[in-house]
Amino acid sequence: MGLPSLTLGGLVELNASNLPPSQLFEVLSKYEAEAVLLAAGSGSPEPSGTHSELLSLFYSSFFFSHLLTQQKSSRSEARALTHRLPQILQQQDPSIKSCIALLRALWQTDHVQVFQLLRTASWPEGLHPLVQRYERKISLQSLRHHTSVTELTRWIGFFQDQSLIAVSRSYEAIRPEVAASYLGLDQAAAAQNDPSIIQKFTECGWRWDLESRLLHPAPINVPSSADKGSTNVFRDTMAMLGNQGH
Amino acid sequence: MASLNEIVVASTEFGNVVHPSAEAYDRQIRQHLSFLRRALSNQDLNSVLNDESVFDKLDPSKDSITYLLILRHQIKAAQEKAGKSTPAKLLPIGGLWRRMAYYLENFEPVQTRYVGQEWRQVVEVFAQTAEEFSQPILATQVIRDAILRLDPSSAVFTSTHLLFARLCLRAKTYSCALPVLKRPICHIPAALNGSNLRSAPLLCDDHQSSLAFLGEKSGFSSKLSHKEFLEYFLYGGMIFMAVKDWRNASHFLATVVSMPSVGVISKIMLEAYKKWILVGLLETGKLNTLPSITPSHASKTYHTLAKQYVQLAEAYERGDSRKFQERFDSGEERWKQDNNTGLVLQVSESLTAHFLKRIKKTFASLTISQLLEQDTPLPKDPAAAESIIASLITAGDLKATLVHSSNHSGDTMLRFSAGSNSSRLSHELDVQAQLKKEKLMLEVLMNRIDESKHNLALSDELVDHLRKGQSWTGAGENGADKDDGADIEEDIMVDFA
Repeated sequence: MGLPSLTLGGLVELNASNLPPSQLFEVLSKYEAEAVLLAAGSGSPEPSGTHSELLSLFYSSFFFSHLLTQQKSSRSEARALTHRLPQILQQQDPSIKSCIALLRALWQTDHVQVFQLLRTASWPEGLHPLVQRYERKISLQSLRHHTSVTELTRWIGFFQDQSLIAVSRSYEAIRPEVAASYLGLDQAAAAQNDPSIIQKFTECGWRWDLESRLLHPAPINVPSSADKGSTNVFRDTMAMLGNQGH
Repeated sequence: MASLNEIVVASTEFGNVVHPSAEAYDRQIRQHLSFLRRALSNQDLNSVLNDESVFDKLDPSKDSITYLLILRHQIKAAQEKAGKSTPAKLLPIGGLWRRMAYYLENFEPVQTRYVGQEWRQVVEVFAQTAEEFSQPILATQVIRDAILRLDPSSAVFTSTHLLFARLCLRAKTYSCALPVLKRPICHIPAALNGSNLRSAPLLCDDHQSSLAFLGEKSGFSSKLSHKEFLEYFLYGGMIFMAVKDWRNASHFLATVVSMPSVGVISKIMLEAYKKWILVGLLETGKLNTLPSITPSHASKTYHTLAKQYVQLAEAYERGDSRKFQERFDSGEERWKQDNNTGLVLQVSESLTAHFLKRIKKTFASLTISQLLEQDTPLPKDPAAAESIIASLITAGDLKATLVHSSNHSGDTMLRFSAGSNSSRLSHELDVQAQLKKEKLMLEVLMNRIDESKHNLALSDELVDHLRKGQSWTGAGENGADKDDGADIEEDIMVDFA
């Protein structure tokens, strides 16, 4: 009522629509009840054959929408979602199994495994836009060039971007192959100081020390979207508390 | 005797009427309600009223009252006919289920203030049906939106809050619960009675506080005791735990733990205390001190009854990983019995970050090999240890940086620092954003405090009532075992580690 029925075509269209992650999550979460009812189908707790493809795509899309929202709790929520899935999907559906493996790799901060799953797992066709969106094969340079608050926050939030930010905060000096492992780049080539790999980092403002053969990351700060106009928050809060006492 | 057609016509008229004033609107609603109650008691109309197609002629967003009363009438009739509380007609996919969902998604909140009891009954049936269908998730989002539609502030605690929190836990839809849980509860319906109701403005008027229309007699809540209140905060704490929001989890659990009581503490309180200790370790790395309002006898009882938890926390706090492991192993059965294994495992995992924070107090920097020479919970493989440290830094749990050696086979240096200028700026921006959030929360709370002060100043009866309310804590007096605690018997954190 109010929301069109959950269909394969509609879902494919939704995934390709490039909706902001929060909206995508909101829309998909409204479909979860319908998916549960479809899965229950004829009264059986498992999905009937006709719906299994739709349900696989729905739950996989919903899973990725959790990751894309980048809320603090998104991974915990994605984990909770994997617990709510119809059991047969958890056990037999390749896409759902890959989602669960991906979640485990994320939980264990196993970057190599994360990139491998994103790139090689058998994701259904209709899910590709979300998988690619999450992996985000962007030129690392783009981060460097989007310096305003709104532009930068628009760019941040995908796995490769996040990894770049994480490494830039964690390391003062890093071997190229280790940096490459965080970003899903060719580690063997990086270990040989392949100029094309090194260039990807220097384009982000990192410094390449030829003598020590180490990269020196330039920290990237992600300003909070709530920071504008909040310079007086502390003063205002204290004033408010002060007034309350009188 | 009104016919079905007359009811539909009256509903359409009522839905289209323009209300010149709150008084006139109040009068119209009451007249309409009275007309409907009379009409629905007409036995001759039973057959037509029990025909689901009647809902196609009604619009709950314009006239919520008619839709709700007929819905309630049909639910009751279906239950009586089938001789059980959830007949097939009510089950999901069934007609009445869809009507209930449609009503709860579209009701008009001001009119609904006049039919609180019926609204609550429909919510309860909706939740119960979803649970009986083994799919509580079908009801969580609808009920959450209904709670917030009725009272966007969600400041008055009702039995629906508890039902909703329990449902979210069972359905494992934690984020769904957050919009309600994050709104501070400022009142319980019992706080408004007697003279306040008489002097209260009209239900349909604009009110600063939702307590004006969610009072005890509104019917929006079933009778509440301290147990429901404690359960809500325990469930809320568990939901925050599931999304790893340790701060809010700690706050919710502390509310349970510090509940005034005379004599023996309840099982719910003890359960909350055990979780509160573990959550405190995850939040601050310390065995937190109990809130100052906790009764002293309760503090002693907690300490005695949860000794294993206290000892585990003490070992953690000292950073004594061997002792911690010993106590972790010896308490294994206890954690399992209490459904706290997952949480204890998380505490165990956080020991590394805690250890590094302690090391930071002594060393400005040291190599990974030097670090591994210490009594550390880190793995002995330097590469694995580095990876764990890097992920702690990334997650913001440790303020440090790693420096690879120019000699590529050399050791990685861990440098503790206050961070670079840019990372400090980032931290300050985070603090600033947090302050802004807190300010908004404080504004809401200040308004509530002002209201409470106003109520207290105006009503002697309220003061008397609150005084009597001291005995509200009584159920815990009879012994810890009386309150069997929350009925969510599951270790929700069990596979986190």
